[in-house]
Order: sequence, then structure tokens, then C-alpha cells
Amino acid sequence: MVEEKIVADQSSARPVALITGASRGIGQSSAVAMAEAGFDIVGFSQSGDSGNSETCRLVNLAGGAYVTHKVNVAVESDVRSAFRSLLTANGRRLHAVVVSAGITSDGLAATMSADRFDSVIAVNLRGTFLVCREAIKAMRKTGGAIVLLSSTSGVSGQAGQVNYSASKGGVNAMTQALAKEVAGLGIRVNAVAPGFTETDMFRRMDVKARNGLIQHIPLQRVAKPEEVARAVRFLATEESSYITGQILPVDGGLTA
Amino acid sequence: MVQRTAQYERAVHRYELNAAVRRSIIGGLDLPVDPDLVDDDQPLFGRGLELDSLDTLEIVSLMEEDFGVYITDEQRFVFGSVNKLVDFAEASQPALDGA
Repeated sequence: MVEEKIVADQSSARPVALITGASRGIGQSSAVAMAEAGFDIVGFSQSGDSGNSETCRLVNLAGGAYVTHKVNVAVESDVRSAFRSLLTANGRRLHAVVVSAGITSDGLAATMSADRFDSVIAVNLRGTFLVCREAIKAMRKTGGAIVLLSSTSGVSGQAGQVNYSASKGGVNAMTQALAKEVAGLGIRVNAVAPGFTETDMFRRMDVKARNGLIQHIPLQRVAKPEEVARAVRFLATEESSYITGQILPVDGGLTA
Repeated sequence: MVQRTAQYERAVHRYELNAAVRRSIIGGLDLPVDPDLVDDDQPLFGRGLELDSLDTLEIVSLMEEDFGVYITDEQRFVFGSVNKLVDFAEASQPALDGA
């Protein structure tokens, strides 16, 4: 089920960025960072955040218009319908797509149910593919940039996160494969791999575990979402015009 | 008499739909070919229109944008000809009109 709410003027000539998972965390910060760079924002979120949402308020404050669609990225018909309506609603070129929607559902491998494994793969990997597939079609004649949200867990793997690590490892491989496949269309594909970041996901961990993790980070702190968003913005704009197929760690030196 | 009229209307509708698909493909791919001279059973790839794999993306996108028809690998057979594309389009969306 897709619901569209126009919450700002869409007649402007500003470039447009689509951001999934825009209602919170890194997705929300990315929306704000892109608005600061002169973009209007189309947000996909499972909650279908409204014109009164924090993301809308922050994007408007940064000078951008904000349109939101209620989309479960793991559901093919949701993604297709949302793309169709956003392309027909305003006819504006899509310049950048940031695929930030993601979930965790941690547990030990020995006791992890297949459903729990599948649920994370569905959103983080299948959802990323579904959004990329429609994004390529939307940008096939104009070129553009796709930025996928990966994780350091996709590079080195984390105990208790076989599902999440597998999904993000898949995103890394998808980044490289897709970059080669669509380079000829002028579409760049890159990923940002954050380490530990001050998001709801991180705050759900217990304090002792969080402090233990911070000791392993050379910069001795976790990232702020806006620090990750700045890397997203770099890869989503012409600032990185000759970079494609790369996975950029934003992890305080964790994987150095 | 009523049945003949329905058949006639069906034939006209099909003719218009084929023409619309030919115009969409030839125009979208910017091919130097008159759409009216393309045979509806002519292969789109290989010999025939001599399209390549990048053109697949364009045709898939055009069919979705212009006719609301979604094509994936499972329907690869539709690239056989304009007639096969339109057969599939009508089967997946019976209410299609000649866009």
C-alpha cells in the first residue's frame, strides 16, 4: 500500500534526491545533508512520515521541499508503485538515490530462526535491489548517482549478526556489480559503510556493550549521523564524479 | 452481426496497440526506421532490428512507462517481436488501450 503526501512545493527546478529510510537515523540526516546541498527530497519510509514529521521540518529548514511515500522496500509492488507515482507526479529528473532503509534483528546463529534471518535479508538486501532496479530505469537517460548504506559488519562480520552482516556483505558486492553494469549509462554506484553510529540501532544496545565497542575505535567515539550523511552527500553529488563501485568506510578508523 | 462488430473492434484495437508499441520502441531507441515499416513478427534482437542488451533496459522501461506493463527475465520471450510484446501486454493488462 503506497500513500503519497505532497508536503511542499514541487514546481522548483532544484535537483531531486530519493532517500529510503528517511524518517530517522542516517536516512534522515542524509535527507537534511542533501537539502543543504540544494536538493529537494523524496522520502520513502515504512511509517510514511507526514508533513509534520521531523524529517520534513529539518529538510524544509535546510531549504528543501519534502515529499514522502509510505513504502516497505521489501515489497516489490510497493517499490514499483512508489517510483511510478513519483515519476508521473512531477516529471522531474531524479539525480540521486540513497538507499538507507535497513533493520537489525540480532541473535546467535545457532538459535536464529530462518524467519529472523530472512526478515533482515528482505529489507537490507532484497529491498536495496528492488529500489536500485527502479532507480536505474528512472535514471537511464540522464545518469545519476546511487549510494547504498552498507556497514563495517559487511566487511568483517559481527558475532550475533550473521543475518545483518550477510545482508551488508551482499550490499557491498551489489555495489561493485551494479557499478560495472550501469557505468555506461552515466550512473555511479557507491556505498558508505558506517561503523558504530548514534542511531536508534546503537542506542538499543546495553551500555556495557556500547562502551566495550568504543574502546576498539581509534577515534574513541561513535559517529554522529550527520558525519555519515556528509559522506553520503559526497558520493551522491558531482563532488565524486569520477568515483564508482567503491565502499567508503566512515568508522573512526575501526577497519583501518 | 454483433459478433462481427466485436471482432472488428478487437482487430482495430490490436492494430492500434501494435502501432503504439512500434512507435514507442522506435522513438524511445531513436532508431532511424519508420515505425510503420517494422514487421510485427520481425525479431527485435539479433537480426531484425539488431538491438543489443542495453536496448533491453530501454524497452522494458518504455513498456512500463507507456503501457504499464512490467517485464522481468521470466518474460524474456516477449522480446521475440512486437506481436509477442503486445500479446504479453494484453494478457497482463486486458484493459490496455492503444496509448
